[in-house]
Amino acid sequence: MSSKRHSILPAVDRSGPKPPVNFSTSLTISDNAVLLGSHSITMQAETVIHPRSRIESSVGSVLVGRRCIVQERVHLGAPPDNTGKAAGGVSLGDYVLIEAGSVIEAGGTEIGEGSVIQVGSRIGSGARIGKNCTVSHLSIIASGEVLPDNTVVYSNGTWRTDKRGTPELRKLSIVKQIAMLRKMIPSNPDKFR
Amino acid sequence: MSPLTPYTYIQCPCSDQTVFHPGGAASDPEDDDRAFDPKAPRSNYSLYPIEYLLYCEDCQQIRCPRCVTEESVTFYCPNCLFEVPSSNLRSEGNRCTRSCYQCPICIGPLQVGAIQPTTDANLLPTQYQANPSGGPYALFCQYCNWTSTEIGIEFDRPSGIYNQLSKVNNGGKPKLTLRDVKDRRKDNPDEPPVPDDQVDADLQFANLKAFYQQQLSEANTSLRGLPLHDGLGFSSPAALTRIMSLYTGRGHQGRLQQGPADIMREALGTNDGLKIANLDESSDIKKLLEGGWGATASLDQRNEQPTESGRFEDELRPIAYLLRSKRSKRCPSCRHIISKPEAKVVSTRFKIRLVAKSYIPTITIRPLNPTAPPVPITYRPMVQEEAPLKPHQPYHFVVTFKNPLFENIKVTLASPNATPGRFSSRVTVLCPQFEVDANTDMWDDALKDDEKDRSRKADEGPEVGKIWEKGRNWVSIVLEVIPASLRLDQQQQQPGNKGERVDMSPLKEGEDILEIPMFVRMEWEADTQADMEGPSSKDKEGREKRELAYWCVLGVGRISQE
Repeated sequence: MSSKRHSILPAVDRSGPKPPVNFSTSLTISDNAVLLGSHSITMQAETVIHPRSRIESSVGSVLVGRRCIVQERVHLGAPPDNTGKAAGGVSLGDYVLIEAGSVIEAGGTEIGEGSVIQVGSRIGSGARIGKNCTVSHLSIIASGEVLPDNTVVYSNGTWRTDKRGTPELRKLSIVKQIAMLRKMIPSNPDKFR
Repeated sequence: MSPLTPYTYIQCPCSDQTVFHPGGAASDPEDDDRAFDPKAPRSNYSLYPIEYLLYCEDCQQIRCPRCVTEESVTFYCPNCLFEVPSSNLRSEGNRCTRSCYQCPICIGPLQVGAIQPTTDANLLPTQYQANPSGGPYALFCQYCNWTSTEIGIEFDRPSGIYNQLSKVNNGGKPKLTLRDVKDRRKDNPDEPPVPDDQVDADLQFANLKAFYQQQLSEANTSLRGLPLHDGLGFSSPAALTRIMSLYTGRGHQGRLQQGPADIMREALGTNDGLKIANLDESSDIKKLLEGGWGATASLDQRNEQPTESGRFEDELRPIAYLLRSKRSKRCPSCRHIISKPEAKVVSTRFKIRLVAKSYIPTITIRPLNPTAPPVPITYRPMVQEEAPLKPHQPYHFVVTFKNPLFENIKVTLASPNATPGRFSSRVTVLCPQFEVDANTDMWDDALKDDEKDRSRKADEGPEVGKIWEKGRNWVSIVLEVIPASLRLDQQQQQPGNKGERVDMSPLKEGEDILEIPMFVRMEWEADTQADMEGPSSKDKEGREKRELAYWCVLGVGRISQE
């Protein structure tokens, strides 16, 4: 009997064109991440890309800002259902945290500085998420939706405004997470160049 | 159309007398027992999946959640899992008093945290540390990011939130209590009563309670010679019997007439707990104009509040957790306990639990020739969806009876030839009488050579009067169904509807589901209860014949609407 555990999920599809990349020297990117597409992928300083995350630039270019965290099984730049209409890629501001299993569709999607996309959410193509927003677990943001700054999306799409006024604390927490993750995730940016 | 998997519901006999059957086409006039109609409006309340049912060993009868009588064993807070004694319940109400709060916005649990976080670098800012020197503190919701600072409430200490919160209004001002009002009046007796807008629900309740207590004590003193020691006067059984004896006029007539009239006066002012509704809503309208939709509280949020709250989000208060109870269940007729959970809150075990599943056979139904492809193992929780049944086409279903008893049971089935309701389908039970073997050791099944049973399946089709398949403690039989057409124009031609007005209304909800009522009668020989009977049981060799009969409903599937 083989001691190796086999996943029941289908194998990760690594086929496709290798995209032109523009990496910061302080980037942490696992070599198990999947980058594909034809447009450029830019990742700025001190960003962490977890293993098994999937970044696709087949629809448009992908920009990941400074000090962002993209967790496992995130699909950044997923082609939307109506590929014909969509134009543009995905751009994440600084200090954006995208938690495991979320899907961010391409097509001019923007996520503002300091926002958190929690586990398993789906952001539709062309949605614009403001600064310091929280999209709670398994939420779905429709295509083209615009979230004002400090919005919390919770409980199947209910919105409210975050009045805590603690964006600085969130940034601090991201900085600490990044400091820890840099030790945990072996970085290999050369694989993608 | 939602998918429908075949199901079996069992009717609890507790509502047998109440099943009303308006002599429809379904009931056979020759049959002295009316057939059970699963589509009748009342049937909804007496049909249960077998897992919901209990069984009383003494009455030898099925008991459903509707007919058992319940008794509370313990009360506990679902958040901190602390047991609350019932005496506290009476004095402090049915909510947790140990700093367990729910978010008024999203009902998530609230956590206490310092507003100024410590500068400890190892902490995430969302997990504020309870710093003894730090503070002030507030309640935080981790899900929707609500904090109690939004309604202007902060705490000096991270513990004893219940006491701190009960002393402060939204906005941070101290709450006016009955004691404050009394003190104020003591100092300055001429002061007018508190204006209505300062009287909140708690103060009003305290006023009203004081008023009633005073009135009752006055009324009690008027009933001389009839001391009612109970705190509120009329709530103890002894007091009630005494009051009843007053009304029936035995003994105390003379005395009663001596006292002054025992009529309570109405509440007249704020101090009596009277609060006049504020009909001037101009301030609310102004607030709505300023804040807009986002500032208002939803109806759900307002319903969650323990006291009546205003229309705005900043008038909501954290909700103390409602206590829950563990309950034991008694048989309604013999008063024996048939389910009793362990009193400890953290334990999920039961001391007594007589579930129906271990006394009556489990009935499962599946199509003989499934149309849906089998679900691959990796997608296993997925539900198989069968295609809807086509009218006027015979379908075969395999009904499996699994015996939980340690004795062989004889099962007799009966079902009406046509299902009750407007669209009556034809039903034939191919083998209405059979025996199911006892629930013996599991390994018997593996050791027994049951080749001859298996081989039946290789035959071409189901046969009348024969068991379809058989195992250690289970038997499968075949049921033939010819679904009726759901078309209304075909209704009139049916011979059963002669002389009656045909209901031509459009298809109602659920009428396309084919449900078959079936009467199950099981017979078995059980050991007599030795402790109940003395030497006489030895003569009968400790065996007695028992039977149990009940209606069940087999949900087969949907009929297609073409």
